[in-house]
Amino acid sequence: MKAGDLRRALRDALMIGALLWLAVTAAYVRDRNKDATQRALRHAQAAAELIAAGETPPTPTAAAAIVGAPVASKQHGFLRRRVAHTAAGPRPLGGPTAPAVDKLLYDAAGRFDKDGPFVAMLPDGSERAVAAVATARGPAIAITAGPEPRAPVPWLAVVGHLGLMLVLVGVGAVLGGRARGVGVAAGLATWAFPAYLAGGPGLALAILAVAAAAGWAHATGATDRAIAGVRAHKVALSFLAPAGVAMIVLVVVPFAVGLALGFYDHHHGRWTFVGLANFKRILTGDGHALSDPLNFWFILGVTLAWTFVNVILHVLFGTLFALILRQPWLKARGLWRVLLIVPWAVPNYITALIWKGMFAGEYGAVNSILSGLGLDRVSWFSSWATAFSANVATNTWLGFPFMMVVALGALESIPKELEEAAEVDGASSWQRFKEITLPHLKPALGPAIVLGSIWTFNMFNVIALVSGGKPGGSTDILVTDAYRWAFERGEQYGMAAALGTIIFLLLLGWTLIGRGLTKGDEEARP
Amino acid sequence: MIRGLAIAALCAAAAACGRSDAAVTVWHAYDKDERAAIEALAADWNAAHPERQVELVAMPYDGFGDKLGSAIPNGNGPDLFLYSQDRLGDWTAAGVLEPIEFWIDDATAARFTPEALASLAYHDALWGLPVAVKSLALFVRTDLVPTPPRTTDELLAMAPALTARGSFALAYPVDDLYAHAPWLHGFGGHAMDGDTPTIATAEAVAAAGFARELVQRKVVPAEADAALTATLFAEGKAAMAISGPWFIADIPAGVPYTITTLPTVSATGLAAAPYLGTEGILMSARARDKDAAIAVALAFTSDAAAARRAERAGQVVPNPAAYRGALADAPRLAAFRKQLAHTVPMPVSPAMRAVWTPYKNALGQVVSGAASPAAALEKAATDIATYARTEGAR
Repeated sequence: MKAGDLRRALRDALMIGALLWLAVTAAYVRDRNKDATQRALRHAQAAAELIAAGETPPTPTAAAAIVGAPVASKQHGFLRRRVAHTAAGPRPLGGPTAPAVDKLLYDAAGRFDKDGPFVAMLPDGSERAVAAVATARGPAIAITAGPEPRAPVPWLAVVGHLGLMLVLVGVGAVLGGRARGVGVAAGLATWAFPAYLAGGPGLALAILAVAAAAGWAHATGATDRAIAGVRAHKVALSFLAPAGVAMIVLVVVPFAVGLALGFYDHHHGRWTFVGLANFKRILTGDGHALSDPLNFWFILGVTLAWTFVNVILHVLFGTLFALILRQPWLKARGLWRVLLIVPWAVPNYITALIWKGMFAGEYGAVNSILSGLGLDRVSWFSSWATAFSANVATNTWLGFPFMMVVALGALESIPKELEEAAEVDGASSWQRFKEITLPHLKPALGPAIVLGSIWTFNMFNVIALVSGGKPGGSTDILVTDAYRWAFERGEQYGMAAALGTIIFLLLLGWTLIGRGLTKGDEEARP
Repeated sequence: MIRGLAIAALCAAAAACGRSDAAVTVWHAYDKDERAAIEALAADWNAAHPERQVELVAMPYDGFGDKLGSAIPNGNGPDLFLYSQDRLGDWTAAGVLEPIEFWIDDATAARFTPEALASLAYHDALWGLPVAVKSLALFVRTDLVPTPPRTTDELLAMAPALTARGSFALAYPVDDLYAHAPWLHGFGGHAMDGDTPTIATAEAVAAAGFARELVQRKVVPAEADAALTATLFAEGKAAMAISGPWFIADIPAGVPYTITTLPTVSATGLAAAPYLGTEGILMSARARDKDAAIAVALAFTSDAAAARRAERAGQVVPNPAAYRGALADAPRLAAFRKQLAHTVPMPVSPAMRAVWTPYKNALGQVVSGAASPAAALEKAATDIATYARTEGAR
């Protein structure tokens, strides 16, 4: 036996043991609180039954009384008074300076009238219980005085247990060979006993499984390698840690919560698990005709049309402006370039609000120009085609600079010699565009198109601010519809989350396809 | 040295926690004058009650209701908050609110007009004390319209002359149910009957048809939202506007205007009746010290406090005894108080929340001529039923 073996065995046992200790402690605290709650409920119930029988409860109570039926005020039916009959005689409940405990009696009587006899914890976190049982004169109500005493923490048992674990691990290490792993597993497995007492067989089994895995990992040297790995990359890991934590808090957790919410229904602040019902409602169109903007497939169609039209226009205008900016005859090129990037630099909701104003019916700039030209004014947001066009016009204005910048970068990378050689060889300008410029643009534009289509697919600001879904929600896209589920249709957060999940899956699929497409391009590159 | 610092830090932390624990936190979404008025009341309370301070927290109005609904059940909300009564149905069902009738006797209730207090009652309990009542009324530019119209026929008759001068006779957000409600009620319709939406009724169809007539005869601009309404009225491009007390702050100095009651609907002889919103001070079900909270709520709604709010912020307060001295005949307050006689309490039912957006879509379709009033409202009724079905499922 080597001293190193014992040290490594104790190290592994203590590391995993600390995690198991946390789990067992959490189960223990939960069990102890549950026990205290049950005692509080029993005391309240017993006290209420004693009052109902006309006796004085022996356990200390904050309030104990038989509360009479409510009498409504003559002027205001909703102002209702009750009288409490206590050992000291009757007293009216309520008024501007009534004691706090009277409010509890009053509320308990109100709950008794609605739900019948009950026993429950007070919702104020004071760990007091309230019970109401029926009597001929009204409910007998008892409220316990405060938190029930809890059993003391068994520190001696904890220390003894820790000792037993270390002894088992140590014996294994001393014996050496196969016994090393068995010792670690056996030492950790001792946690299963308190786990069974506090958390039941499920937790105990889970702990046994962890213990077995830890023993195996120790025996095969997996823990040694993992620790050596962490040691070797200490600096790198410390640099990664802040970003890792930020990713977990800002991305992983909200994402997981969002996925989970899709399986729940939200109503009046309560969440009910409904399985795939939300998804079924969405994917079957929820009983709406296919031409109805409340049907998912209608909105999906609009969203796809919206994305497709926009990306095509972005690429067309972006490439066109990039090509023009490259022309040798263009003066003040820097100025033009800056001007063309301005739409991108302005926050997109500002741009969206400006365009909405320009499309306004009576005083909008677009209609003023139209009527100046002798044309009819158009009520932009009262038909689908015009409202959709207004959205597309706004988003094209917002989107082309990105494609232009990407295209400019790609064009810069075309070697001058290549173009000159083609020119010398007598290629026409169309041939030069087709054979030289376009192949160089493709690999850069591919990823930009995938990215741009995802942005456009989820372009909430333009839809919400320009057309706002008008007319009748028919220009809504999936994200704005998800927003409506959450905030305009009775807080159906579950439906919004399910729609969010569907949007994610659609875009995930598209990204995978898009990656395949652009990869193909790169491989085909000469 | 380090130990001293640590002790000092601990004490500071304890003091900070101690203070915020002892304070009564009040959330509100007031701005400008209303905010100044409520801050003055809080300052008075704090001077008189050093042991139980009030801490006001101003919130942006957008999303205020959602924030309350999610913060309070998680125990992160205020003790008291100011909000209108239209979410009572949701919040009482979700256990957000504390019923307060326990503390209110008839003597205290007598402070308020019975309608205002009753609008904060729901399911045989009282959920708040009224702070202010808000309804729409008619704003009239006296330079363009010397005599305000008393009936809708008079309104229609005025339009051609004003149109010739380049002005609309009237501006309001035509497709917004809240602004459309005066016509709906004036034609004898209602958006809700108890907990049931009543959307495609003959009266509602007539009211929507009237809105379309207003637009088609160029009496009213088709696409005015609240902001455009304010601009048109300020620039004289709309001679009249339908809006509420908050509109006063949007009117530039020098614009001659008066406020009056909305006209009677000629077709029915009924007064156009806007919704009555009652802003109340409501208590969170998770308020930490409910006795202190109710004392603050009572202080903020006393007759003296109401008079100060009316003076400072022009709030239409529901305390009759507050209107003494100069306040008794302040013209703007008087106009809104007069309109109160012709109002319909804003529905409290949770189902109402599902009505706004489909109704807005329907009105938009009707005034643009894309759908007939009957067809558009039928469609809205179906949409609302879709949401109401899940609402009522449990």
